Amino acid sequence: MSIYKSAVNKPITTLMIFTAVVVMGIYSLVQIPVDLYPEMDPPFISVMTTYPGANASDIETNVTKTIEDALNSVDNLKEITSTSSDNLSVINLEFEWGSNLDEATNDIRDAVDLVIDVLPEETERPQIFKFNTSMMPIVFYAVTADESYPGLEKILDEKIINPLNRIEGIGSIGIMGAPNRVIYVEADPYKLEAHNLTIEQIGNTIASENMNLPSGNVKMGKLDYQLRIQGEFNTSSRIKDLVVGNLAGKPVYVRDVATVRDSIKDLSLDEKINGETGLRLFVMKQSGANTMKVAREVRANMVDLQKELPPDVKINLIMDTSEFIEGSINNLSQTLMWALLFVMLVVLFFLGRWRATFIIVLTIPISLIVAFLFLFITGSSINVISLTSLSIAIGMVVDDAIVVLENITRHVERGATPREAAIYATNEVWLAVIITTLVVVAVFFPLTLVGGMTGVIFNQLGWIVTITVVTSTLAAISLTPMLSSKFLKLRERKKKAPALSYERTIERGLGALDNFYERTLRWVLRHKVFTLLAALIIFVGSIFLLQFISTDFMPETDESRITAEVELQTGTRVEETIKTTRYLEDVIQEKFPEVEIMAASSGSDDEGGMFSLFTTTGSNMINFMMRLSDIEDRERSVWEVADGLRQEIAALPEVVNFSVETAGQGLGGTSNTVDVEIYGYDFDVTNELAEEFRMKMENVPGAIDVQVSRKNDKPELQFVLDRDKLALHGLTTAQVSTNIRNRISGMVASQYKEEGEEYDIRVRLKEEFRNSTTEIEELSMVTPAGTRVRLKELGEVKEYWSPPNIEHKRRERIVTVSAKPDRIALGELANRINSEIEDIEIPQEVLINVGGAYEDQQESFMDLGLLMVISLILVFIVMASQFESFAMPFVIMFSIPFAFTGVILALFITNTTLSLVAALGAVLLIGIVVKNGIVLIDFTNLMRDRGIELYEAIAISGKSRLRPVLMTAATTILGMLPLALSTGEGAEIWRPMGITVIGGLLFSTLVTMVIVPVMYGLLAHHGERNKKDTVKKQFRFMNGLEPKN
Amino acid sequence: MIIFNQANTERVEYMLEKLEIRGYTWWKDVMGQGSETGEPRMGTHTWPEMNSAAITMIPDEKVDILLEAVKRLDEINKEVGVRAFVWNIERTV
Repeated sequence: MSIYKSAVNKPITTLMIFTAVVVMGIYSLVQIPVDLYPEMDPPFISVMTTYPGANASDIETNVTKTIEDALNSVDNLKEITSTSSDNLSVINLEFEWGSNLDEATNDIRDAVDLVIDVLPEETERPQIFKFNTSMMPIVFYAVTADESYPGLEKILDEKIINPLNRIEGIGSIGIMGAPNRVIYVEADPYKLEAHNLTIEQIGNTIASENMNLPSGNVKMGKLDYQLRIQGEFNTSSRIKDLVVGNLAGKPVYVRDVATVRDSIKDLSLDEKINGETGLRLFVMKQSGANTMKVAREVRANMVDLQKELPPDVKINLIMDTSEFIEGSINNLSQTLMWALLFVMLVVLFFLGRWRATFIIVLTIPISLIVAFLFLFITGSSINVISLTSLSIAIGMVVDDAIVVLENITRHVERGATPREAAIYATNEVWLAVIITTLVVVAVFFPLTLVGGMTGVIFNQLGWIVTITVVTSTLAAISLTPMLSSKFLKLRERKKKAPALSYERTIERGLGALDNFYERTLRWVLRHKVFTLLAALIIFVGSIFLLQFISTDFMPETDESRITAEVELQTGTRVEETIKTTRYLEDVIQEKFPEVEIMAASSGSDDEGGMFSLFTTTGSNMINFMMRLSDIEDRERSVWEVADGLRQEIAALPEVVNFSVETAGQGLGGTSNTVDVEIYGYDFDVTNELAEEFRMKMENVPGAIDVQVSRKNDKPELQFVLDRDKLALHGLTTAQVSTNIRNRISGMVASQYKEEGEEYDIRVRLKEEFRNSTTEIEELSMVTPAGTRVRLKELGEVKEYWSPPNIEHKRRERIVTVSAKPDRIALGELANRINSEIEDIEIPQEVLINVGGAYEDQQESFMDLGLLMVISLILVFIVMASQFESFAMPFVIMFSIPFAFTGVILALFITNTTLSLVAALGAVLLIGIVVKNGIVLIDFTNLMRDRGIELYEAIAISGKSRLRPVLMTAATTILGMLPLALSTGEGAEIWRPMGITVIGGLLFSTLVTMVIVPVMYGLLAHHGERNKKDTVKKQFRFMNGLEPKN
Repeated sequence: MIIFNQANTERVEYMLEKLEIRGYTWWKDVMGQGSETGEPRMGTHTWPEMNSAAITMIPDEKVDILLEAVKRLDEINKEVGVRAFVWNIERTV
């Protein structure tokens, strides 16, 4: 019992099965999370180690190198890079795609554990971060405050962060630039000396006073009491009344030698939101949580929570990634709706019957809903890629239903009852339908096998299209016959149709088109050579056009966000940096009204923290984060604004280096740069070389934002010890450095506790006694013998230059000079740079490599090329077995080159770059284009087998198949049209694919209808005559017995 | 003996029922082609349609009615095709 027969005979069962599928699909649709991209697990793990107070080269030798060596043996490791900067060592490990990161994390932890004892004592335990796209903050808030500013962190903690943490799906909430409360005990060194005290003594006294100690149990009568001593300070002002020593029989109080300040930490990071004091609050979601839902709830809750805050605290949204997601998703959903509408109109146009149109269009939602079911089962999300896949599929899913329905209609019109027609007509075409589907699957299925980062995108596309198309075929051979048997009726031909009826208008036009095509076919069949030559010229001409099309990796998108990083002269004080920040803020507010919210941070947080992984900080760095108004509400694009900003920043003399970026979250965070990597140990040699490259590259037309990864050396003071003198006083280097550290950076004596929070009590010298070389040399310390020595007796302070950050790649020192393309393609830029730097002389010990996103791009294009070859082979296999012939697939595949001609033309006319997405579109075309050819050739073969003469057969089948071919092509083209025309958020990514598919299909359909029949005519001509002769030879016994007439 | 396009199956069934012809033997999926105009029914890719055939023993007086019915059926659409052939039954057990 065949599937279509069962379906027609059991309409209710059929209907119920499909209803069940639809219900489950809708259930899944409600459940699936919405996100921008499919969740990727980028194989990156970072190991971050802080070593407070150490400079970059200390970090490099003591921390980074040790850990790097230990980590090098971790399995599946692809590349190891690191950055050693002041206070912080960050090692990034890149693994092969698809390796088990949990295992890798364990390996890393083991490796780190092995060397942890070798690391300097003050280093904190290395932290291991596993990257995940869901770790990127999804919402950024700017919090501004006036009088509440000092206590802002605590207010936010209580009133905002704790309540927000209760929302399901929130990973963590972080604060950037919050003022920290610290209690400073600042001593006057001369008074200390007069009272014969040291910083350490004060610190130890505070530590031993500020404690609670249980002192045992006391049994009294029938009870057992606990005895405790409560020494902890209940107010910070207690500190100044502590006794630290005795002088001439009188107690010396802290207040006698030092001042106690309960205040906020010294300025090292300055956060301003739209020029007001404030901080940034960012929300991260849990892995797998629905970004849209979390963001929506955070925003809704924030409105309520804001009412609880003091009136001067204002919270503003800077960035909400869910907005972009929502925009993109809505945009694509609209695209999908338009596609549905267009497809429906096309079907109605060609068939002219409401019921038939309904039956066909019904397969669309069913196939699409099954895709949602797939997403739900695999735990994926609704995202830009899955929705785009759906809009690619939407035009193709109706094809099978069209073929089936067309044949059923033919039978019904010949007088069969709809029920029987449904069964027998489906029987006639089901195999052909399955084969055309197989061709499409042959192209899309290999996509699911691609690995790497591009694989994440391609896999989903491959699966979704494969699943929807297969579902549509199943629906076409079960649901479509069933519905046809119920709904189709024999339509009486009206004797006199009204003037504006379908028969008198469209039908007539289509008829005329059929006839015109038949005449054309007959003409080209008589002029085969001319036709083929013309086709060849067109094809070669388009190849010639190819050189005007530039290549690109991923199209950039306008996400209404700009981030800028400005670097001043290294070593600039934060206070000076802030002045520049203020100036820039004014400029931006004045000249760029598009900027709605701007957060600026100057300087760095010396604790490093998680955020240092994403941005470079330093006392001379300014980070801007801006949100522009919506795309519709502004005239300048984000790129124009960024360009303007670049000019403004470049005009400032104090700015050493800067970069302005427009993309917030590219796919997998790839930046669009060409990197020239310089490997070499010697700083001077590589610095010089890097500078030379930078100069050359800045002159390359089309290169902007040329950046050298190694920042300029910054001045540093070194205290050079005289070891003989140290020995004389019985001191060691460690003792001296601890002493200096306590006096300058401060000694954290104890923690002051208030309402469950702990604040550092830091003992150090007053600023005026530690802000010059002379003052530092005047510092005194107590020797083990009890005498006091001045620092200048132990050595001298010298000024040195040191690099602020040292980068490693593959455990070697590296400097990268990177450039971004400006309105030229990445590949082109790489070529230009390559030729420009060719003649630079490179020292022997230095190695040069050109890489960056350019490298990824080449890799991905290679993948695509391979994919294309596999698709071609699979398509050939399917067709060869269908036609049981080697020649026929070639005839059909002759249309593929013209699809590429169409692609090139479309790209050329619309001035689009050949990006990865556009190239993918070209690969997909193979399957779509070949389908047309199959329909045509299949029918021609049929006619030939029925004994019609070759050219006649070609002409007749051409005429008869014109409408189905035009119809399937039109549904696919119009299904893609909304994609190609959309301008909303995120449209830039997918527009190229729409353009390539439409261009390729449009052109190839036109050419196919002419070239394929001609090729068929050429190839079939000889083969057929030979065949007759062979048959005659085989059955020789019949010779001379043929009837004579 | 009635040979007909499968698309006419239901009509033939109804016809036999209405004419109160109870006994028949039915062959599904038989191949053939008409002597003059009838398209081949081969069940192949080229000629996908198939015929069925029914043979029934009926008394002489019903033959004309049945032939008339078949003729009317054929006239609905000549292309679909239905034919009936009559011959005598010599003996039976």
